[in-house]
Amino acid sequence: MRDTSSSKFAAAAGLGITLGAAFLIMLLMILIMSETPGKTIYFFFAGPWANTYYLGNMLNAAVPLMLTGLGISFAFRASMFNLGGEGQVYIGGLAAASLALALPGLPGILGIPLALAAAVGAGAVIAGLSGLFKYKWRTDELISTFLISNALIYIVDNIITGVLQDPESNLLVTRKIAVQYWFTRIMRPSNLDISIFFVILLAVIAYFYLYKTHQGYEMRMCGLDPEFARYGGVNVRTYFLLPLLISGGLHGLAGAVSFMGTQHMLFKGFSGGMGWNGIAVALIARNNPLAVIPAALFFAYIEAGAKSAMINADVTIEIAAVVQAVVFYLITAQALYSWIDRKHRRRSA
Amino acid sequence: MNSGEFSIPIIHNTVSIMTPFLLAGIGGLMTELAGMLNIALEGLILIGAFFSVVFAAYTGSLMLGILLGILTTMLFAYIFGAVTLYLKANVFITGLAANLLAGGLTTVLSFYLFGTKGVLRFEGLPSLPVLRIPALHGIPVIGDLLFGHNILVYFGWASVLLAWILIYKTPFGFRLRGTGSNPEAIEAAGLKPGNYQMAGILISGLTCGLAGAILTLNLGAYVPNISSGRGWIALVVIYLGGRTPFGILGASFVFGLAESLSNYAQGYLDIPADFILAFPYIITVTAMVIVSIIKYKTQGDSK
Repeated sequence: MRDTSSSKFAAAAGLGITLGAAFLIMLLMILIMSETPGKTIYFFFAGPWANTYYLGNMLNAAVPLMLTGLGISFAFRASMFNLGGEGQVYIGGLAAASLALALPGLPGILGIPLALAAAVGAGAVIAGLSGLFKYKWRTDELISTFLISNALIYIVDNIITGVLQDPESNLLVTRKIAVQYWFTRIMRPSNLDISIFFVILLAVIAYFYLYKTHQGYEMRMCGLDPEFARYGGVNVRTYFLLPLLISGGLHGLAGAVSFMGTQHMLFKGFSGGMGWNGIAVALIARNNPLAVIPAALFFAYIEAGAKSAMINADVTIEIAAVVQAVVFYLITAQALYSWIDRKHRRRSA
Repeated sequence: MNSGEFSIPIIHNTVSIMTPFLLAGIGGLMTELAGMLNIALEGLILIGAFFSVVFAAYTGSLMLGILLGILTTMLFAYIFGAVTLYLKANVFITGLAANLLAGGLTTVLSFYLFGTKGVLRFEGLPSLPVLRIPALHGIPVIGDLLFGHNILVYFGWASVLLAWILIYKTPFGFRLRGTGSNPEAIEAAGLKPGNYQMAGILISGLTCGLAGAILTLNLGAYVPNISSGRGWIALVVIYLGGRTPFGILGASFVFGLAESLSNYAQGYLDIPADFILAFPYIITVTAMVIVSIIKYKTQGDSK
């Protein structure tokens, strides 16, 4: 994708059309399916802004999406696919929770970094496995990441509802982690916690890594043109493994961050959707780590709006999935961008 | 279910379990040969599963249900194909979109039409007719392989033969393969590669619609996310089957057998249900890695 000013305009306009089409289809669905469409639409759009509670929760939901979006951006930048985000988030959360539950006496200053490291490690190992298969035998990572992740989801389900299950709860949840592991809340009464600042900082670091370091340059080169990179003396196979390790690590971290400030325990299926949404976030952000931040906020907004519409009106939250699907359909449509580009050129010529 | 005294339930079950893999695999093969890895198979199966049982319940006719279910799945496939080919979008991302849309749409419609996001039971739905030739059921192994199955299983067998003829014995098949292996030659001959890719996508809509119909019409119910990874496993089946119809038949038999064995084991050993659910994914990825090792070792570092 060339970055001339004209194609930048096309990119922005294309994004606008994509998101506009997604919202139009959602409005249409609400008009057909809701008995009180006006009320539903109101709660969808205005609900997330209603008060600090809803607003804070929306921001809080964006935090893990920033991490998964970053994770996918790394993979995509190197032209690697990671369709195993769901499982990597899930196992990351499990690793952090297991560590916190096993060491309840640890002071927070030691415990939190350890729990986060466990999450990063678990996610990295799982995604790294697919990277390793690709590195050694060229096993297609698109399918292997997905399959490994799906197998893992059932196994983590079993651990959450088995070994770690809270015996005093009727829900499928683990026991709560000790208080010193909890992230500090910053926008009461909402669940928003300080992790949002660290994650934004991480996005900035990711940007510098990708654009200002030698390794980041090589990774992007392998993504753009592996033959050219090989010719330039880059060990291309390294970049089968490294991007997936980073990608998995960030997904694992998302799993930890998503519960250590919010519920303080895991519940069955807590990672649902974070992996897929991470792909959408990365696509909207065009794999730019800084653009991942607003893209994640946008997705958190759609989810929060759908949730608000479900609670206050009569539609189900899965309308968000339909909106997301429309975004997925159109976001890479080259014909759309070149059409805009042509129109734009003709006008400015 | 089975009358012969030599009957082997595992083989009988293998045949019913393998059929969705087989049908989805045959459909996926068509796009694969045209140069597209079709990761939308999963969503197509889910759409077929949902709409065939819902239409069957509304019309009271199995045949209409299957027919309308297939048509809906083909329409869904057409949208996926049109965005990919005419708007020139990335096929993997649009494939994900199709899967996401299938999951979202079936849930939204289930809630809108039936007021629940859970299991939909359809009382009084006729069950799929079963081919019974009592005299032949008694033949060991063959009896279980070939007889006593519902008619959609035989569509699965037939699809292998039809696909083989279509791919290797018709001009269409020749051009379809050319689209994948040498698109410039197809264009030079004045043909449009996109047309053959679209044909492949529509065929995969047809076969995945059938694959989905088997899942729900056998049960007389729709279970959320009933496709449960079969479309993804079918992709690996295509790969393991060496991208040929009969190879896919063999590979789906292996997967069906493995799943049938694990169901059987569950009855005797106390394996948690979660592990049984994880099992198909584990064997699939294992098989995939083993084959890639063999390919790598025999073909060397070249692609």
